[in-house]
Amino acid sequence: MCEFSRQEFIEGLQMLGVDSIDKLKYLLPSLRAELKDEHKFRDIYNFAFGWAKEKGQKSLALDTALGMWRLLFKERPWPLVELWCQFLQAKHNKAISKDTWSQLFEFSRIIDPSVSNYDSEGAWPYLIDEFVEYLRENQSLEACTSGA
Amino acid sequence: MSQAKKKTFKIEPFKHKVEMDPKYAEKTWKILEDAIHEIYNHNASGLSFEELYRNAYNMVLHKYGEKLYSGLVNTMTQHMREIARNVEAAQGGLFLEELDSKWREHNKSLQMIRDILMYMDRTYVNNFNKTPVHELGLNLWRDNIVRSPKIRDRLLDTLLDLVHRERTGEVINRGLMRNITKMLVDLGPTVYQEDFERPFLDAASEFYRLESQQFIETSDCADYLRKAEKRLNEEIDRVTHYLDPKSEAKITSVVEREVIGNRMKLLVEMDNSGLVSMLIDDKYDDLGRMYNLFRRVSTGLQTIREVMTGHLRDTGRQLVLDPERLKDPVEFVQRLLDEKDKYDKIIQLSFSNDKTFQNALNSSFEFFINLNARSPEFISLFVDDKLRKGLKGVSEEDVESVLDKVMMLFRYLQEKDVFEKYYKQHLAKRLLSGRTVSDDAERSLIVKLKTECGYQFTSKLEGMFTDMKTSRDTMQGFNATLAGSESNEGPTLAVQVLTTGSWPTQSGARCNMPREIFEMCNKFKQYYLSTHTGRRLTWQTNMGTADLKATFGNGNKHELNVSTYQMCILCLFNIADHLTYREIEQATDIPAPDLKRSLQSLACVKGKNVLRKEPMSKDISEDDVFLFNDKFSSKFYKVKISTVVAQKESEPEKQETRQKVEEDRKPQIEAAIVRIMKARRLLDHNNIISEVTKQLQARFLPNPAVIKKRIESLIEREFLERDRGDRKLYRYLA
Repeated sequence: MCEFSRQEFIEGLQMLGVDSIDKLKYLLPSLRAELKDEHKFRDIYNFAFGWAKEKGQKSLALDTALGMWRLLFKERPWPLVELWCQFLQAKHNKAISKDTWSQLFEFSRIIDPSVSNYDSEGAWPYLIDEFVEYLRENQSLEACTSGA
Repeated sequence: MSQAKKKTFKIEPFKHKVEMDPKYAEKTWKILEDAIHEIYNHNASGLSFEELYRNAYNMVLHKYGEKLYSGLVNTMTQHMREIARNVEAAQGGLFLEELDSKWREHNKSLQMIRDILMYMDRTYVNNFNKTPVHELGLNLWRDNIVRSPKIRDRLLDTLLDLVHRERTGEVINRGLMRNITKMLVDLGPTVYQEDFERPFLDAASEFYRLESQQFIETSDCADYLRKAEKRLNEEIDRVTHYLDPKSEAKITSVVEREVIGNRMKLLVEMDNSGLVSMLIDDKYDDLGRMYNLFRRVSTGLQTIREVMTGHLRDTGRQLVLDPERLKDPVEFVQRLLDEKDKYDKIIQLSFSNDKTFQNALNSSFEFFINLNARSPEFISLFVDDKLRKGLKGVSEEDVESVLDKVMMLFRYLQEKDVFEKYYKQHLAKRLLSGRTVSDDAERSLIVKLKTECGYQFTSKLEGMFTDMKTSRDTMQGFNATLAGSESNEGPTLAVQVLTTGSWPTQSGARCNMPREIFEMCNKFKQYYLSTHTGRRLTWQTNMGTADLKATFGNGNKHELNVSTYQMCILCLFNIADHLTYREIEQATDIPAPDLKRSLQSLACVKGKNVLRKEPMSKDISEDDVFLFNDKFSSKFYKVKISTVVAQKESEPEKQETRQKVEEDRKPQIEAAIVRIMKARRLLDHNNIISEVTKQLQARFLPNPAVIKKRIESLIEREFLERDRGDRKLYRYLA
């Protein structure tokens, strides 16, 4: 998991026009800035799934997925990322499918943090349906405890 | 000799005009006027029709038509006025009679006058667009008598009063009424309607509004309906006897509106006597009456239907969720059938087999049967009971009718696949224990299920029957080889070879069989595999039975019918007198739950305790000791100890079956999704859900969440993908 082949490494740096560490250092801020662009971020996000999983496996191990999410969402903050990870560890505890991975990004993009605009008929993966339910249960719990 | 042409004879007209001079016209008119007077005074016999006709003719011919016509009008009007005075003077009941007799006379007179003046009618009247004589006579009568201020209201009041009296039970002169109303009809199309019919309808409306109010406060529903029907018939009768036929539809709709339409809801909802009570008490006549009356009103039948449906659903729901009833599945189903029969009868006898009511009945049943998730299991148990003993000695027709009723309930089930699972289990038990009352009945039901659900539903069931038959043939062959070989000692074996996949799956069946049995089984296995190479046989020790001949200490001999496990246990006691639980467990290697159950039936059931247990508690513990019960006795020679009979499942068993059903549904849902996507190529989420539901609804109602999970699984396995542009669209990947 998380491997670059030698060829990929060389060709990639060539395309960037980088042949020294200093040049790479110099380029990093602008590369990072590219992540602010939604389309670019999506491409990298989806690429990350295939890159991070073990060869020959269809799904991504949970621990790796959690790590990747935390990493990626640092660049493009999503308020629910921690709750999402918490939820997965408590209720799911299994590997993450490609569809779930890619749909999570759409979810973070479209649905607001209070999940008020969530459409249960919206063809979201089952795991995300469960996450929303988890959020709502906890929200009402919070409301109860804060009221008490 | 030639004759000269004769001259044609010609009549020449007068060479001079014959003028009628005014004095002559006046004289002629006078003659006619007098004649009219005489006619009206009933002195027509002295008149000469020919002379009067000629006089009238002459007047018209000589251009005095106008004088004639206007004279006629005046004279007749005069007479009308006099008649009016006479009629007005009549007292009380004589008023109508006077009017009637004068009317009849007037008609006769009018006819005579018309005949006399026929030439004028045909020529002058036409040319100058005047009202013809007959019509003129009617109009004058209408305007001067019927609509005269002193007569008009009195006439109407008299008529309405008579109608009212008749409604309250008095007898009136119907013939007279008929004549009067006919008079009104004859006087012109609107006279009857405006001068009589409209007020008549208004009065009726008010009368019935008050009466129905009173009835509803004092009668019960059935009583009210009877009264309503009576009133309706009375009004129709009234029309027949003395009103214009066109009034029938109008008066009936007034009665329908006031007596039925406006009171429907109150009636139907009456406590203790309304529709619900009638349904409960099977009041066929009253229900039929209600149906016939309500059907006349626009939302009448709908009202009945709605209340019936509501009541049926409530009763059904109670039936189906009542914990007491759930204790006996056969009783439960029988109760459902009874309820259906009850309503079928009501619909047939009282609601004239109305299809909309049939549909309401069906939809109600479908609704509440599915409220209880155990309905499929219970219906299968009901069938099992019938096929095992209930239909013993019953005629073929009656068998068919019971099976048809079962099919009817089956159709209402939403989860038909659950029924299939239970039916298979119960059928397996019936077949293997040889306890089916009639092979024909079993087959007949399979055919019905096939007709209803298709070949796929019943192919495995038919496989089970085939296996039974094949096994019989195999046994024949096997026994033949035995007879040929060594001594025929040893136990008699009867083997059923079951094709895995057709029969309900069981697992974990194992045990150590007694030596003699084991040897015999091996012989069979050898024989079978010699003719069927490449197959594998596994003994299902949890499904077999055995007949043992046992001799007890008191010399009693009995034949014990036991399960295979029980046989293994009992045969141990041929060598030992007492054994501990653990020893038995070790020797037989029977799985613990089955072992405990078997031991319990052998040692703890009164009348069947061929074993004694120490201590004598009801439950089996691992420290128990078992002894052969020398003192066992029973009044029957054959004692049945095994219970391989189908029963209502325990809670854990139920969960297990439910789980299996859910597992079976997953591939079916996936197959449906793939079928649909293959055809449509690109489809959105909601449409997939609805198409899948539609495709599978003949077997069960799929849960949308489960469908969603299957879609995700198919995406994972790359059968489908999401569309890049619209994440709600799925695409089929070839």
